[in-house]
Amino acid sequence: MSDRHAENSPLSTLRALTARVVGAFETVANPVTEREREYRRIVALCAPFSVLLFVAGLYPLSEVVRISVSTAQYRSVGFSLDAYATLFGDPYYRQVAFNSLWLATGTTLVSVGLAVPIAHALEKYDLPGEDLLVTLVSFPISLPGIVAAFMILVLFGNNGVVTAVTAALTGARPTDLAFAVSVPGLFVAFVYSMVPRATLILRGTYAEVDSAAEEAAQALGATPFETFRYVTLPQIRPGITGALILTFRTGLAIFGTLVVIQTLVVWTLQLSRELGVGYDVQVAGAMATVYFAFTFLFTVLGLRYTSAEVGI
Amino acid sequence: MTLSLSRRFGRSIVTLALFATVAFLIAPIVLTVVASFATSWTGVLPSGFVTFENWRAVLGLADTIGSQRSMGWRPLFSLPLGGERLTVLVPAELAFSIGLALGGVLINLVVGVPIAYAVSRYEFPGKEWVNAVSVLPLVPGVILGVAFLRAYPDLSATSFGLIVGYSLLKAPFMVMAVQSEFESMPLRQLEESARSLGASWPRTFLTVIVPNARSGIVSGAIICWALAAAEFNFSYIVWAKGTQPLALFLQRHISNSSFTKAAAAVSMFFFIIVAVTLLLQRVGRRGFDTRGS
Repeated sequence: MSDRHAENSPLSTLRALTARVVGAFETVANPVTEREREYRRIVALCAPFSVLLFVAGLYPLSEVVRISVSTAQYRSVGFSLDAYATLFGDPYYRQVAFNSLWLATGTTLVSVGLAVPIAHALEKYDLPGEDLLVTLVSFPISLPGIVAAFMILVLFGNNGVVTAVTAALTGARPTDLAFAVSVPGLFVAFVYSMVPRATLILRGTYAEVDSAAEEAAQALGATPFETFRYVTLPQIRPGITGALILTFRTGLAIFGTLVVIQTLVVWTLQLSRELGVGYDVQVAGAMATVYFAFTFLFTVLGLRYTSAEVGI
Repeated sequence: MTLSLSRRFGRSIVTLALFATVAFLIAPIVLTVVASFATSWTGVLPSGFVTFENWRAVLGLADTIGSQRSMGWRPLFSLPLGGERLTVLVPAELAFSIGLALGGVLINLVVGVPIAYAVSRYEFPGKEWVNAVSVLPLVPGVILGVAFLRAYPDLSATSFGLIVGYSLLKAPFMVMAVQSEFESMPLRQLEESARSLGASWPRTFLTVIVPNARSGIVSGAIICWALAAAEFNFSYIVWAKGTQPLALFLQRHISNSSFTKAAAAVSMFFFIIVAVTLLLQRVGRRGFDTRGS
C-alpha cells in the first residue's frame, strides 16, 4: 500500500522506503511473532479482492485517465488538456453537469424525505403484515433503471393508468395529462429507484435507536413530534447523512432510466453518447475521470467531516 | 398539549406516507403483470383477457421479427436416451444471463468472503478504509464500461469481460451480506477453539468459519446473482454482438415492442426476482436485506 509516490523524492528517502517495503514483504513471507502471522493472514484475506479491484477497477480507470489527456484519438500518446478545456469551457457541458447535479440533489432529498417516515412506521409502529410491507418496499431495489422507467410509463404514460383515470374524471385529453416522458416524469422515475435504497439504509439506523429514551420523553409529556425532534432525530442523524451520501451517489449513477426517458441530458447519458460515431474519445475519458474524482472526493469528505454511517 | 397536532394526526400521516409509497412502488408492477395477459391496452384498463400470446412471443414460442424478436432457443446439452438423442433447449438470452451472473457470483465468493472476514475478525491499521472500499461501489456501470473498453478492447465484449465487470460492480453486496453474518458470530472463540484443537489457520477458516457463515454467504450469493442478471448500464456500454444479456433484451422490448408485449418481458423478469426473493426468505432473510435485522 505504501510503495507508491516514490519517484520524485530524494534518493535517501527512496532507499529508506524501499527498505521498509522489503521489510514488510519479508514479514509477510516469514512471520516470526504471532502478531506478524496475523498480519500475514490479513494480507492473504484481502489479496483476492485487491487483485479484482486492480485488474477490473484501478487499471481500467488509469487507462481512462490516460486517454483523456492523449493528443490522438484511440491511442494514448502525448499530453494535452484539450478535453478538460472543452469540458470546463463549453457551456453545453456545464449545463449537462448542472442537470446531473440538480436532478440527483432533488431526487435524493425527496427519497430520503420519504424514507424517514417509511422507516419510522416500519420500525416503530405495530402494523399488520409488517414483514410483507418490508418485502414490498425492498422489492424494487433489484429492478434496473429501465424497468423503473417502464413502471413510470405504466402509471403516467400516454396509456398510463393514472393518466387514463384523471382524463376520465376531468375530461381532459390523456396526451395533455401524461407526463412520463418529461423532466417531472424522469424525476419520479429516479425517486422510484432511490426510495427503496434509502429506506433500506434508514431501517438499519432505526434498528439501533434506543426506545427507552423515547418512552421516557413520552411519559414526561412530550408530544410525538417533540419526541421525534429531540430524542429520535439526534440518534438517526448519522444514518440520515449516510443515506443522503449513498442515495446521491445512486442518483448520479442512474443511466438505464435515461435510455428509456431521454428528456434531459445528464452526465452519464452524455458520456454514453460520446462513445458513438463522430464523438470524442478523449472527452469521454475526461468525463469519466471527472465523475470518478467528484464522487470519490465527495464521499471521502462526506465520511471524514460528518459522522455519517456508511455500509448499507 | 391537549391540542397537539402530532398526537392527533402524526401517526396517521406517517402511516399514510408508508402506504402511499408502497402503492406507488407496487401498483405498476401488478398492472404490468396483469397487462401481460391482455390483448391490448388503449383504454383506461387493459382489455382482451386472457391471452398468452405476449408471453409466447417474448419466450420465443411464436414467430417474431426485427427489433421485437424474441428469445432464440439454443440447445444446452444432449442426452442419449433409449437410442434417440434428447436435446434440451433453453431460451438463449435467459440462459446467457444466468450463466454470466453465476460466473460473477463465483468470483464474488472468492474475493468477498475473505475480505469480509478480515474486516470483521481483525484489528489493523487502515481497517476503516479497507471496509469503505469493499462496501462502496467503486464506479457506476457506465464509467466501468468505458474503462473496460479502453483497457481491454478485445476482452471487454466477451463473456469473460462481462463476468469480471459484474463481479466488481456487485462485490459490495456480497461483502455486506457476509460481513453482517460474521458480526453475529463469536469469531474469536470459534477460531481459537479450532486452533487449540490442532487445526491450522487455513483449515480453520475453510472448515470451521466458512461453513458456520453459510446462511450469510448463500444470501449474499443470491443477491449478487439477481443484481448481476439485471445489470443494464455496464452491459449496454460494452456489449457488441451475439446473444444479448437479459437487461438489454428487456430494454429492446420496452423501447420497441407493443405495450402488452413489453409488459410480458418485464413480468418475466419480475417472476425471476420473486423466485429469488422467496429463496432468500428460505435462507432466513427478509427480502433484499443485507443487514441482519
